Amino acid sequence: MDKSKFQSWLLKILETQDDEISCSLCFDLISQYVDLENDNKAGGEEWEPVRHHLNQCLACRQEYEVLRDLTRLGPDELEPPLDKV
Amino acid sequence: MGKVRSTEDWLKELNATGDLQVEAITDLREILLRGSLYSLNRNLSDLANLNRDEILQLAEDCAQDALMAVLEHIHEFRGESKFTTWVYKFAINIALTAARREWRKDVSLDQLLEDSEPYEWLSADHHDLINPDHSLLQQEVWETLRETIRAELTEKQRQVLKWIVFDEVPMDVVVQHLRTNRNTVYKMLHDARIKLKRRLLMQGFGTDEALDLFSLNKV
Repeated sequence: MDKSKFQSWLLKILETQDDEISCSLCFDLISQYVDLENDNKAGGEEWEPVRHHLNQCLACRQEYEVLRDLTRLGPDELEPPLDKV
Repeated sequence: MGKVRSTEDWLKELNATGDLQVEAITDLREILLRGSLYSLNRNLSDLANLNRDEILQLAEDCAQDALMAVLEHIHEFRGESKFTTWVYKFAINIALTAARREWRKDVSLDQLLEDSEPYEWLSADHHDLINPDHSLLQQEVWETLRETIRAELTEKQRQVLKWIVFDEVPMDVVVQHLRTNRNTVYKMLHDARIKLKRRLLMQGFGTDEALDLFSLNKV
């Protein structure tokens, strides 16, 4: 395990909380969180469990990042450059 | 691009009958296809074994599955987000899960467990990890983690930890292999982290000490 991977893992261990929300609950909440974040209204304490889960769960974080970026694109920017494949 | 609808329009038209409903479902599927394509396009590294046509077909399949999921769960939509944001998350979840499952399909997870000597995977490259100024304390942290994994984690927790943290296997591949769901795998990792954290704290290594010792930056 290299240094940066170890550091990231150690931080995740030390920031572990006794109660963390599940991936399912994160999925339920993520669309509301993203819309609020896009309106700069997601900073409240009540969203801390979602932010914490996103820091601990790579799979949910990747989905959140795609959702966030997709909802910030204009309608004309949605076509993905699959022609590069 | 289909017509622009408000959330209320979407719900009304998807619950209508006849041409109005057909048009809404067609437009919804187009949105889900865009979400699927965008998601796959962001993860092309997982799709290296697929050609362009296969990726486009995968996107179509994901959009179809997402459409089924949206229609099945539409009664759960509470209007707390935009309808389009809500439906996108289904397309993204299904497409990224499909992409992750293409990850190194030739690699067997059981083989990954068998490849190394018992607990050899818990070795670290000390030249890389250890700062000479703090070497003894850093090694103590590493030893604490290693011993906790060996002595306190269950076999399943150890397996999942090795695959996801050490081998970087995508969670969805582990979920598929164990025939379980993401919640269960996340819980296994969470329970393992709890044990590791408690042992580190008992040894006097809290977040502040670790931040200092390993030059960590909080997220």
